[in-house]
Amino acid sequence: MKKQMRAIAGVLLALASSPGYAEDAKAKELADLSLEELGNIEVTSVSRRPERLSDAAASIFVITGEDIRRSGATSLPEALRLAPNLQVARVDAKTYAITARGFNNAIGNKLLVVIDGRTVYSPLFSGVFWDQQDVMLEDVERIEVVSGPGAAQWGANAVNGVINVITRHAGDTQGALATITSGNTEGDRALRYGGKLGEDGAYRVYGKFADRNRTALASGAPVFDGWSTTQAGFRADWAHAGDSFTVQGDANKGSSDQTALGVPNFSGANLLARWSRKYDDGSDLRLQAYLDHADRDDLVQFRDRMQTFDIDAQYGMVIGDHKLLLGGGNRVAHDRTIRSLLVDFIPGSRSLRWTNLFVQDEVKLNQHLQFTAGAKLESNVYTGWEFLPTARLAWKPDDRQLVWTAFSRAVRAPARLDTDFFFPGSPVLAGNLKFLINGGPGFESEISNVIELGYRAQPTSSSSYSVTLFRNMYDKLRSGQPPPAVIQNMIDGNATGLEMWGSYQVTQDWRLTGGITTLTQRLQVEPGSRDPTGPSALGNDPDYQWMLRSLWNVSARVEFDVMVRRVAALPNPVVPAYNAVDARLGWRVNRETDISLIVRNGFDPSHPEFAAAPGRSEIPRSAMLRLTWKQ
Amino acid sequence: MEAVTFLFGRRRNLPARTLRTAIFAALSIFICLEQCAAQDDAQAVEHQVKAAFLYKFAGYVKWPDSADARPDAPFTIGVIGADAIAAELVEAVAGRKLEDRNIAVKRLKAGEPLAGIQILFVGRSEAARLNQLLQAAQPRSILVVTESEGALAQGSVINFVMADRRVRFEISLDSAEKSRLKLSSRLLAVAQQVRTGTP
Repeated sequence: MKKQMRAIAGVLLALASSPGYAEDAKAKELADLSLEELGNIEVTSVSRRPERLSDAAASIFVITGEDIRRSGATSLPEALRLAPNLQVARVDAKTYAITARGFNNAIGNKLLVVIDGRTVYSPLFSGVFWDQQDVMLEDVERIEVVSGPGAAQWGANAVNGVINVITRHAGDTQGALATITSGNTEGDRALRYGGKLGEDGAYRVYGKFADRNRTALASGAPVFDGWSTTQAGFRADWAHAGDSFTVQGDANKGSSDQTALGVPNFSGANLLARWSRKYDDGSDLRLQAYLDHADRDDLVQFRDRMQTFDIDAQYGMVIGDHKLLLGGGNRVAHDRTIRSLLVDFIPGSRSLRWTNLFVQDEVKLNQHLQFTAGAKLESNVYTGWEFLPTARLAWKPDDRQLVWTAFSRAVRAPARLDTDFFFPGSPVLAGNLKFLINGGPGFESEISNVIELGYRAQPTSSSSYSVTLFRNMYDKLRSGQPPPAVIQNMIDGNATGLEMWGSYQVTQDWRLTGGITTLTQRLQVEPGSRDPTGPSALGNDPDYQWMLRSLWNVSARVEFDVMVRRVAALPNPVVPAYNAVDARLGWRVNRETDISLIVRNGFDPSHPEFAAAPGRSEIPRSAMLRLTWKQ
Repeated sequence: MEAVTFLFGRRRNLPARTLRTAIFAALSIFICLEQCAAQDDAQAVEHQVKAAFLYKFAGYVKWPDSADARPDAPFTIGVIGADAIAAELVEAVAGRKLEDRNIAVKRLKAGEPLAGIQILFVGRSEAARLNQLLQAAQPRSILVVTESEGALAQGSVINFVMADRRVRFEISLDSAEKSRLKLSSRLLAVAQQVRTGTP
C-alpha cells in the first residue's frame, strides 16, 4: 500500500515538476537573506522557498518582505491583504477595518498589533488607528500573522489574532534607497539611508511622505477623507559577542481633508530600546522598554492624547526536554481626552496600568510529540487580574506533516470606549436625559474560549498547505441598551470557521498561492438584556473570502504578479460581495533601478468594502507607477 | 501523557498509519502524498544555503590591504571539492557586486595555485588535504571555509556545522588573526560558536 502510494506520488511529482527542479533552486534569492535568516532555514524541509514548515502549534501565516514587494502594497493595511487569515476592508481613503475570525469593525478590538515589539493598539478602544501606523515597507523583514488567541503569550487583546511586524536589522538595510510612487488615487515618496556605526554597529534613517486622494460616494459626491502623512525614523543595531542592542524610533504627523468642522490632525512618536544576551548554556535574556506618544485631534470623533511607557523582560532556558520561557512586564499610560462633537469620555483624563507575568513550557514528549503549556496573568485598572492560559499539542509524524490542537482562554479587557464613553459629546437633550449612552461603569472583560485543530503539510517539494478549524465560545460580549443606556456585557455565542491556504510552485518561474476562510457566527443577546441593536453592532463579517495569487518571473528582469480575491457579502449593514483583481508588472532596469506598474481593482471602476449605503465610500480602481532606486 | 491519550486514543494499540489515516479522514480535505525524494531535495537546499553564506561572509570580513592589491580584479571565491556548491554559488552571485567589484567563482583542483582568491571553500571530499591548503592560504590572507568536523582545530577560519537541521557555522578567531582577517562582530554574533585560544 505504502509502496503504491509512493509510486503514484512519484508519477505525480514527475508530471508536476521538471527534471532537476530542486537542484537549480533559488540560490539567488537566498543570497538576499540576512545571516540570521540563512541560519534559520531548515534544510531538511523540502520547500524550494526559503521557508520552513513551522513547528508552531498555531494558525500562522508569514508575509515576507519579498511578498510585500511583489504585491505592490503601499501601506501596512494593504500589505495585510496578503494574509489569507485576515479580513481587511477599506472603509474610506484612510480608514481600514481589519480583523481575524470575525467582529470586523473600524473600531475592531480583538486583534493585537505589534511593530518591532511595540504594541500599537490604542487603549482608548483596544483597536488600531490604521491611519497612524506606517512603516517603511521596503525595510520590513516579515509580518507574522497569527489568527486565533495569542493571549497566553501576548496578553489581553490578543483574542482573535496577533499581527507582528518585524523590520530588518539595520545591518541588512545598508546603502541608499529611494522610491517614488505616483498614481490616480495616491502617491508616496520615501528615502532611506543605512550605514555602519564603528566596527560593531549599523544604522538606518528614513523619511517618507504619503498622500491619499479623497474617495467618493456611489452618487459621485465627494467624501472628505483625503489624507497625508509625513514620517521619519531610525534604527540602530549593535552586536558584541553574545549581546545585541537595538534602539529605534519613529515620528509622524498627518492630517486629513478640511471639513466644515476643521481639519482632523494626528501625530505620534516613539522610542524603543532592546537588549538581548545569549548565554553559553543556551539560555537567553531580553529586556525592552519603550515610550510612545499618540495624539489624535478630530473634532467630530476622537480627541485624544495617549502617552505610554512599557517595560518588558523575558528569559528563555532549556532544561533537558523542556524549553522554558518566563517573563513579565509593566505598561503605564496616561490618556487625556477632550470632548468632541460625538463623543465625550468621563473622566476626561485617566491613568492606565497593565502588569503581567507569564510562563511557558514547551516539552518534547517523544520524537514526534510536543506539548506546550503556557499562561499569562495580566492585570488592568478595570477588572484586576485576568488569567490567560493555553495548552497546545503538536504531532509531527514525519518532517513533512504537523497535526496540532490547542485549547486557550483569551479575554478582551475593557477599554475607555467601554467604560468611560458618553454620547453625544455635546449634550443637546433636555431635562435629565443628558446623554444617550452613559459609559459602562460595570463593564467586564469579554471572554473567549477557543478550540483549534490544525494540519500543515508539504506533500511534495513544490507544494505546501495549512488547514485550521476553530471554534470560539464567547461570553460577556459588549452590548447596549435603549437610551439612556449603559454599556453592558450581555451578548454571548460562538463562531466556527475554517482557514486554509497553500502554495504551489508550478514551474521554476511560476508560483501560485491561495487561501480561503469561512466563518459561521451564532451570537445572541442574553436574556434580560434590552439591547435594541444586538450582535450586529459588534462587527460585520463575510461568510467566506478567498484569494488566489500568481507570481510569475517572465524573464530574469520582468515579473508579472496577479492577485484575485473575493469577499462575500456583509450582512448588516449589507455590503455586496465583490471580486478584486490586483496586478503588478515589475521591470528590473538594472542592478539599482526597478520600475513597476501597479493596478488595483483592475476590472472594477469602484466598489464599497464596508459600512452602510448611501453614506459609504466607494473604493476606486487605481493605477500607480513606482520607481525604486537603491545602491 | 493524559492529553495524548485523550486526543488520539491509546497509541500503543493503534499502528501509526491507521492513526494517520484516521486523522486525514477527520480533516477530509486533502490527500497527502507519501514522502519521496526528500533526501535529494534536502541536500540541494543545504548546498544553496552554504553557497549563500559563502557570498554573505564577504560582507562581514575585512581583508588586509595587501590582499587587495588589485582592486580592479574581481572578488574571487575559490571552491575545491564541492562542485554542487560551486554551481549554486555561480547562481547566487550572478549579477551581484561587492563594493563595486565583480564577483567570480573559481573551481579549483588539488595543487592549483591560490593566487587572486579571497575566500576558499574546502569541501568535505578534500578535507584530507586541508593542512596543505591552509599552509598556502594563510600567508595570502585567504578566508578558509570548511564543512568538516574538527576543521577549526586544523586552522580553518569558518566551519559549517549542522545544528537542529539547519546550517550554522563556527568561527576560530585565532585562525582569522593568523590570516590577518578582521571579522565583524555581527558575524561573530550569528556564529554558533566562537573559538579563541590556541586550538
